[in-house]
Amino acid sequence: MAITAGARFEPLEWPSVNAAASKDTGDEPLVKAAQGGDRAAFGQLYQRYVRMVHGILLARVPSAAAEDLVHDVFLQALPKLAALRDVSRFGPWLAAIARNRATDFHRRTKPDCSLDDQAGVAEAPENPEREVAIEDSIALLNAVRELPEVYREPLILRFVEGMTGPEIAARTGLTHGSVRVNLYRGMQLLREKWQRHAPQAEKEKGL
Amino acid sequence: MKNDYLWDGSGEPDPELRRIEKSLVRFRHRGEMPDFPAIDFLPSKPSRFAFFTSGWTPRFAAATLLLLALTVSGLLLRLAPVELSNAPAWDVARLSGAPRVGNFSLASDSSKAQLRVGQLMVTDNSSRASLTVAAVGEIYVDPDSRVRLVESGSNHSRLALELGTIHAAIWAPPGEFVVDTPSASAVDLGCAYTLHVNEDGSGTLRTTLGWVGFHKDGHDSFIPAGAMCVTRPVQGPGTPYFEDASEELRSALHAFDFESLSASDRQQALRIVLAQARRRDAFTLWHLLFRVNDEERPLLYDRLASLVPPPAGVTREGTLALNSPMMDAWWNAFDLGDISVWRFWEQKQAPPLLKKAAR
Repeated sequence: MAITAGARFEPLEWPSVNAAASKDTGDEPLVKAAQGGDRAAFGQLYQRYVRMVHGILLARVPSAAAEDLVHDVFLQALPKLAALRDVSRFGPWLAAIARNRATDFHRRTKPDCSLDDQAGVAEAPENPEREVAIEDSIALLNAVRELPEVYREPLILRFVEGMTGPEIAARTGLTHGSVRVNLYRGMQLLREKWQRHAPQAEKEKGL
Repeated sequence: MKNDYLWDGSGEPDPELRRIEKSLVRFRHRGEMPDFPAIDFLPSKPSRFAFFTSGWTPRFAAATLLLLALTVSGLLLRLAPVELSNAPAWDVARLSGAPRVGNFSLASDSSKAQLRVGQLMVTDNSSRASLTVAAVGEIYVDPDSRVRLVESGSNHSRLALELGTIHAAIWAPPGEFVVDTPSASAVDLGCAYTLHVNEDGSGTLRTTLGWVGFHKDGHDSFIPAGAMCVTRPVQGPGTPYFEDASEELRSALHAFDFESLSASDRQQALRIVLAQARRRDAFTLWHLLFRVNDEERPLLYDRLASLVPPPAGVTREGTLALNSPMMDAWWNAFDLGDISVWRFWEQKQAPPLLKKAAR
């Protein structure tokens, strides 16, 4: 077999890493300062990237765990930062640490640990309408998490963390093209899934 | 007026999209920034004079003499000296036992060393170690393993796993980290995986996150999370399959890939694979399209098309002729990884690969 067929292809742009975008983030001075021990610079990087890290985690672990793991990811990144040679890749590097931390979370927790989220139910007020809204939110989050991984992450970064497509591309180092495609395909799948879910949920509630 | 709310927030969202956004925003991160520890402990290059200025102690003197003796004896005994380059070294940390790096043995809990290009790290049956480069990833080396650092650069790293097992978690961009084994090379495409090599040079690769390319001489397999692939010294990587595939499918595939079958046995093996394949196993059938002969390929096409319909622009004729853009488009329809990442990696490789494909 010869899948190899590079000669038949036009030269490609690097498809998954958006070098221009990562350079436009203006992170380099901050990363260099943080590498030199500047805590304020690391704090600014935290502010810039905390939503990305939280979104990546939330796409993979229950919401309560995601909050805790955000701190872990930055603490894990801190001592390794000095060895990051290409400072323009801070975002993709941090994203990979977050993805790996989520994988590690599942490795360390019991295998039947469900991703289904119950967060928010306990704190729901005795207002039936609000309670329904919270249940809807949880059901929707769980529906997003049932999508393939490539769609989960951009949708959560877009809708939960409020990042725009260009911002997601710049922070994660992905190309605009792949983020855009994954957002639109993911949204299409989510709409289909949600349209199937909504009538069923209303039936169960006796509406 | 521009209206692309989903992409950049411009224009007005439709009611459903607005509802989704409103529902999900409650999960947004709201935590306070923690008080990070001082960053003074960031590892910096140790001064080469620090040892001399820290004061001599009898223990240091004894250790130095011992080290010197071991080094000299090692040099004398070495038949083929290894040339060490100035390329970045990988940090080695002992996890258990006494892993060996070059001629040094890491025997205490605080033992750390660096693996330089050309050097070999060996673990015995009771030792484990980790290899780390901050910009690339972490490799855990199991007992009874031999790992050599072949290349180390700003955008490429290459290890050779001669024997044993490694677990790799890689955060370098896809295509920048490669592990050679005696029968195939594993190319990281954004992933975590376990690679094992037996004494006869055969091996297995299991992907736990993302996907991995496994190749030898233009014989390639793509292994997504949850899948595995066996490789043999002569044949190279076999057809990958999900680990939860049926036992019948796995056995038939193994026979098809690695055994010398009669024509009827080969047909039977193929028939079992086709019958046992689930929708999830479409990627296995996609690989098989390249590995079957012209008479068998239509059967594969029909079964694959029934599991995952060919995307727009992919025709039966084109697939049977193994038209590359069509094959790539069908792969991408599986949503297991963008194959253009692999094509880009291929183009960066040595000219012989391209020459071979062009022939």
